[in-house]
Amino acid sequence: MANSQRRPAALDPVYYPVVALALILVACVDFCDAVTVVDVYRLVQYDLSGVPFGSRLATLNHHAGSSFFASSSTVDLSRTVLMLPVRELDLDLIKEYIGQGKLLGGLLLLLPPQFSPEKVETAVGGDEDFDLLRNKVSELERLLIHANIPYPVYFAFEDDNINAVLAEVKRNDASGQPATATTGGYKLVVAASDPKKIASPTITNIQGWLPGLKSDGDSSQLPTIAIVASYDTFGAAPALSVGSDSNGSGVVALLEIARLFSVLYSNPKTRGRYNLLFGLTSGGPYNFNGTQKFLSLQWLRSFDQRLRESIDYAICLNSLGSFGNELHLHVSKPPENTYIQQIFQGFSSVAEESGLQVGLKHKKINISSPRVAWEHEQFSRLRVTAATISELSTAPELLEGTGSLSDNRRSVSEASIIRSVKLVAESVARHIYSQEGKGTNIFADNGSLAVNPSYVRSWLDLLSTTSRVAPFLSKSDPLIMALQKELADHTAEVNVQHETLDETFTFYDSISGKLHVYQVASVTFDLLLLLVLGSYLITLFSFLVITTRGLDDLISLFRRPPSRKVKAV
Amino acid sequence: MTVFHFFNCAILTFGPHAVYYSATPLSEYDTLWTSIKAAVVYLFTALVKLVCLATFLNVSESESDNFDPYQELLKALFGFIEVAGLYFALTQLTHRNISQNHKFQAVGLGWAFADSVLHRLVPLWFGARGLEFTWDYILQGLEANANLVFSISLAALGSLMWLRKNKPKTLIPIIYACAGIVATMPTIISYLRRGLGWHLPKVVGFELFSSLLIAFISWQLFVACQRPSN
Repeated sequence: MANSQRRPAALDPVYYPVVALALILVACVDFCDAVTVVDVYRLVQYDLSGVPFGSRLATLNHHAGSSFFASSSTVDLSRTVLMLPVRELDLDLIKEYIGQGKLLGGLLLLLPPQFSPEKVETAVGGDEDFDLLRNKVSELERLLIHANIPYPVYFAFEDDNINAVLAEVKRNDASGQPATATTGGYKLVVAASDPKKIASPTITNIQGWLPGLKSDGDSSQLPTIAIVASYDTFGAAPALSVGSDSNGSGVVALLEIARLFSVLYSNPKTRGRYNLLFGLTSGGPYNFNGTQKFLSLQWLRSFDQRLRESIDYAICLNSLGSFGNELHLHVSKPPENTYIQQIFQGFSSVAEESGLQVGLKHKKINISSPRVAWEHEQFSRLRVTAATISELSTAPELLEGTGSLSDNRRSVSEASIIRSVKLVAESVARHIYSQEGKGTNIFADNGSLAVNPSYVRSWLDLLSTTSRVAPFLSKSDPLIMALQKELADHTAEVNVQHETLDETFTFYDSISGKLHVYQVASVTFDLLLLLVLGSYLITLFSFLVITTRGLDDLISLFRRPPSRKVKAV
Repeated sequence: MTVFHFFNCAILTFGPHAVYYSATPLSEYDTLWTSIKAAVVYLFTALVKLVCLATFLNVSESESDNFDPYQELLKALFGFIEVAGLYFALTQLTHRNISQNHKFQAVGLGWAFADSVLHRLVPLWFGARGLEFTWDYILQGLEANANLVFSISLAALGSLMWLRKNKPKTLIPIIYACAGIVATMPTIISYLRRGLGWHLPKVVGFELFSSLLIAFISWQLFVACQRPSN
C-alpha cells in the first residue's frame, strides 16, 4: 500500500487526478472485505417424550443485528439474526425474551475462545473472570436446553473475523440504521437442510473382562468387582460437548485403573481371586440408559449367566477431574449396610493416607420415578451393591452437568484424576488382596505400579477434543474403536454391546455447519448505480451521435418523423 | 437484488458496445456482419494465443505475486498474435463495399465485444449474482469500456498502417509507436498490477485514462492522414 502510494509521485502530474480518484476507490474497496466463513455449532434439538426442546430450525439467512434494542421497538426482529457475545450478554434479558416466546430471525451466540475444545493451551487473563464466565455459560446453557426455541440458535467462537463483523454491525446499529434489505449491512447465511430425526440412535457399551485366578473350580465362581464409567455426553451444542470432567475424567480413571490391574493380573503370583469387570457405558445423560441395558438379563446371559449375581460390588466413576480435597461416595442402600460400610471403610482409610476426605452420601431410590440420578442406582435397582464416587455432592438434574460448554480441558486437572485413580485402585486392590487396614501401598508413586501421568494426560487430551453425544456416535466411531482397543489391550476379553436408546429421547441431526458472512449492497445502491449507468450510456450515445453525425441528427432522432400533420398544416 | 446487480454490471460491460453500434453510422450501413466476422477471427486468434501460451509459458504457482520479466516478454510477443489476427480481419476479410472509416470501427467493435464476452461474461455470471458485494465487477465493466476504446484505436491505427497508402511520411513512426504501445498494453497493465502492486481501482483508472489518451492521439493521426488525400 505504501509502495503504491509512493510511486505515483514519480509519474507525470497529469496522473494526479486519476491517482486521487483511484485512492478514493481503493479506500472504498478495502472497506468491503471478502466473504468470511466461520464454523458454527447448532443448539441441540431434541424431543423428550414427544415434547419439543432446543432450537427447532437450522437454516439461517437473515441480516445481522447486534442487540435487542439497537433498532427502535417498532422494528420487528423476526428477520434479524442477533449476534450476541456471551461475554457481554444480559442473561435476564435473554431469559425474558425466550420466556415470552418472541420471534427472532436467529441467534448467534459468540463464545469466548477459551471455551473452544481445540484451544486448550491458551492462557486465561484472570481465573476469577473465567469462573464468572463459566457460570454465565452454564446458566445460559440451562436456559437454552430446557426451552423450545422456534428459530435457529448457533454457537460460534470469537475470532478476529467475526469480531470485525460484529464491530461493523454494532456501528451500523448505533448509527440508527437497522440492517434491512434496503440499507445493506451484513447477511448471515447457514445453508442447512431441515433437521431430520435420527432414526433409532444406538448406544454402545464396551466392557472388558479380567478373570481372576481360579483355584480349582470355574472362574465364574469367583466374585466380581465391577468398575464402571459412562463415557458419553450431552450439552447445549452437541458438536462441542466434550465433557472433560463429566465424564471424561471418569473414563480416563477407568482406563488407567484397567491398565494398572492388567499389570497385576498378568503375573499369576499377583493375580487376585476376584474377577474384574471394566464397563464403559453409554447413555449416561439419559438416566444411565446404557447401564440399564448393560445389566439387562439377555445381554448378561449371552455373556455369563451368573455374572450379575456374582458381582460383589460395583464402583461407578463420575466427575473426578476438578475436586479440591473432598470426594463423595454416593450410595442408595442405607449407610448402615455392612457391604456399604465395607466399601466406605476401604475408601476412607486409603483417602486418609493420601490426605483426602471421602464423605458418604445416601440417596434413596424412588422406584416409581424414571429419573436415575447416579449410575450406581441402575445397579442398586437390581440389588447389586454399588456406589458412585464423584466430586459432586448432589446429583445433577436430567440432561445437565454431563458435558456442558464450560466443561472442557481447562476445567480439569490431571493431578485430581491421578489422585482419584490411586484412591480407587488402592482400595479395590486392598479388598482383593485382603490388605484392609494394613497400610500397604500397592500403587506407590515410585513403584513399578505407579500411575502413569502421561497416559492420563494423553487420554484426557483426546477425550477433551472429542464430542461424544451418543446419538451422533456411529457404531464404528473412531472414539468407540479407540476405547475398545484400549480396553482390549488391558483386559482378557472385550465385548461391545450395541443397543437402541430409550425411545423417550428423540434427536435431530445437523449439529454443526458453516456460517457465511456476506457484506451485501443495498437495493438503493443498485438503483443508484442503474441510474448512473443509464445516464452514462445516454451521454455516450449523444456524444457519439454528435461527433459522428452532428447535432441535427441527434435532435432528429427525438423528433417525430415528418408526419401527415405537417402536411395538413 | 443480486440479479439486479448482475444486470447493472452487464449493462456496464456490454452496453457501450451496443451504444457505439447504434449511435455511429455503423448501424446505418449495416456493418453488423463485418463485426461478427471480426469477432470470429478474434475467437480463433484467442485460441491460437492460448495454445501458444500454454505451450511456451511456465505455470507459476504464485500467479499474482511476482512480475517475471522474461515470462512477460514472452507474453507480450504472443500478444502480437492478436495484432496479426487484427491484420487478417482488416485486410483479408472481404466486405461489401464499406468505407475504410466504417470498416475499422466495425472490426474494432466486433473485436472488443468478442473479448468482453470471452473474458468477462462467465466471471460476471458466477460472481456478480453472489450475495457478497464487491466493487470488482463494476471495475471489470469499466475495464471493458477501456478495452473497447483500445480495440477501436488499435483497429484505426492498423487501418492507417495497412490500408492507407498515401500517408504523410513524418507520421509513420508515430503511428507505429502508438500501435506498439496499444499492442503491449496488456503487458504494461500486468506490470503495473504485479510489478508495482497497484490495486485494481488504480489500474482501471489508469486504463481508462490511457485509453482516452490513445483514442485522442489516434483520432488526430487519422484526421492528419485524411487531409492530404482530400
